[in-house]
This record gives sequence, C-alpha cells and structure tokens, in this order.
Amino acid sequence: MPKGKKKNLTYEHLKTVWTKRHKELEKEIFEKHKDSFEWLSQNSKQFAVGSLAGLFLLTSPIIPKIPTAFSSASAEINKIIDKKIFLVYDLKNILPSEVRPLTQEEEANVSEVLTRTYGFRVTPELEGKRLNTSYGLIGQEQHLKRYPGDNMLTHFDNPEDAEKYFKYGMAPGLGAWRYFAYSKAEITQEDIDREKYYIAVQTFLAPGFNENVREYVNFFKYRKMLVVNPQNGKAMVVVVGDAGPAKWTGKSLGGSPEVMTYLERYDGRQRGPVLYFFIDDPDDKIPLGPVSM
Amino acid sequence: MKHKHFYAHLIETTDVVLELGELDLTPEERIHLLSLVEANIHSSVINTVLSALDEENKKIFLKNLMLSDHTKTLEHLKQNSKDIEDKIQKTISIIKKELLEDLKKAKKIKK
Repeated sequence: MPKGKKKNLTYEHLKTVWTKRHKELEKEIFEKHKDSFEWLSQNSKQFAVGSLAGLFLLTSPIIPKIPTAFSSASAEINKIIDKKIFLVYDLKNILPSEVRPLTQEEEANVSEVLTRTYGFRVTPELEGKRLNTSYGLIGQEQHLKRYPGDNMLTHFDNPEDAEKYFKYGMAPGLGAWRYFAYSKAEITQEDIDREKYYIAVQTFLAPGFNENVREYVNFFKYRKMLVVNPQNGKAMVVVVGDAGPAKWTGKSLGGSPEVMTYLERYDGRQRGPVLYFFIDDPDDKIPLGPVSM
Repeated sequence: MKHKHFYAHLIETTDVVLELGELDLTPEERIHLLSLVEANIHSSVINTVLSALDEENKKIFLKNLMLSDHTKTLEHLKQNSKDIEDKIQKTISIIKKELLEDLKKAKKIKK
C-alpha cells in the first residue's frame, strides 16, 4: 500500500507541474498570436472544429485518455474547448495517417473514446460478428425506394428536404432488404428514418458471412451503427440499409444523402474516411439521426 | 508515442525518457507523462516559430502545420526565418532542462 501511494504521488506531482506549464504555454501562444489562429479558423473549412483552441489542439501531440490535462485551464480557454474538440483530438491520436483497417488495439481505443463521448456502448464487434473494417472511405449513395411506388416526387416530407436532397436521385433498384414498408399507407416513422439515415456496408466481406449467410443477413439488416467523421467530430446514428459498395471501388461503405450531408463527406476526389461501429442498443432506445454530445 | 513533427530531426528526448523509466509508474502513467513531455516541447517550439515569423508567414506556417505537411512546413520556415533550426534547437534544449529539473524534484518525493 505505501508503495502504491508513493508511486501516485510522484505521478501526481509531475502531472500537475507539466500540465500547468503546458497550459501557460498555450495561453501565451494564444495571447501573442491570436490573430493568426483567428485567420486560420475563418479560412480553413476543412478544419471545422469550431474554435481557435480546437485548431491549436489539432496541431498538438497526444495526451491520451486524460482530458483532465486541460480541465483547469484558464476560464477563457476552457470555455471554447468543447467535447467535440476533445473527440477530434482523441481520435486524431489513435487513427493511423493512412486509411486502413484498424488493429484490435486501435479499435479498442476508438470504442473507448466513442463510448465515453456519447454515453452508449459502441463496439467493432457485436454478437461475435464484425465487418471487414470499421474505418474506411465513404461514398455517396442515392435515396432508396421505401415502398412500391415511392419516387422522387413522393419521397420528401417537406420542401426544404426536397430542395436539399432531390439532386441525389433515387437508386434504380431496391436496397438489400427490399422495401422498407409494404405500401405508402403502412409506412411508419421508423421506416422513414431508416431510409433517411442509412449506410451501405460490405456485409458480404464480413468474416464468416459466406459460412452463415442467413444468420449474417439477419444480423446486419437495419443494424444500428454509429458513423463518425473523425476530422470534424460529427456523428450520426444510422442503420445498415443496404449492402455495398463493390470492393473494386476502393470505398468501404456508402452513406445516404442525409448522412453524407450531415457528416460533411463528399464522394469523388474529395472523399474521406469515417469510423463506423456497432451500437449495443438491445432495447432500441437510441434514436436515429445526428448525435449530440 | 512516436509522432513525426517538422522538427523531429532536431529533438532528442532519450535522457528524459530514461529518467522517467527510473520512476515507479504504471504504463498508463508513464505514457501520460511522456505525452506531456511531448506536448510541452511542441508548444514551446510552436511559440518560438510563431514569434520568429511575420504575420503573413505565420498564417502559411499554421496552415502547413494543420495539413501535417512536415517537409513543406520546414522548407517554408527555412526560407522565411533566419536560423530557425538553431532557434528551435535552443528552445528544445531549454524546455528539456526544465523537465529534467522537475524529474529530479519528483524523485525526491519518493524518499
């Protein structure tokens, strides 16, 4: 017991001294060069983290899993370092510089960060099943037909959505699970949300899929997932609404127009990566759509 | 804990790492302290670099930094601030000395 206590005292002392020094340095940098950070914040859309402190944090090295390093910063700095910035910062320090499947350790670290941030369990593996990857490039998908007869003129709830999302068009075929509802009269809010907030994942590349196709299809059908743009901290609860894209495309998943727009992800040359992890929600209590922190 | 920075070739922290290695710490505590060492060095370097640039070049530097383009960042600095590598090295040396002093004091807590 005394040994443990001594060890903690040494750590606590160094942590306090070095954190304090780091905060003072940060404050000095902000005070001396605030105009430059402000300029960067206003002129770099790709670094949409919402504050000057966020921009600075993104340039800083790792301080893993111990956000208290910043918890008692000056009132001004504390005010602008919000949860989203910590999320971006934490993820930046876990994720590799190239887009590739994560190692088990990386996945575990991401799970921990996402679970802590959103307050529900987020995991790369559920019921012994996982996808081929949990980190990959996302492409643009089209709207899906929700019931027989659904088309671009019937698809939108309001003129605002029509204006925003009409241009993406409707997929010529049906999604992997066919229609969301048997008819227009029977469609529920849940069906509408499932189509709106869907992703297409490579179910067919999941380890074990070919050996137990029926079981895997049942597992993936409308499976709830969290998809996160690690570069801006935007996250959405979605369902697996389709299978794809083909492996040759170089993309690992696709997002509905609503998903892509919210995450600020684009297809083509500007395409970028997202994280996509299962949500453990046995009682179906977590609503689909953008997630607030 | 390896993070490549534009000043990676100017930094040598073996002595700090060895000193930390002598302390009785859990792996998590050690990693956290190492990251604080790195964060302190990084902030000191950024402060030095920004102070050595004019307003226009500060902006270019920050943009390069955000894009993690280390080669471009360093090239830009060399072209726009005289002896910048010497300045960075001096800054690192000062902050390292302070960190080693802190470690010395921390060791005394054990006794």
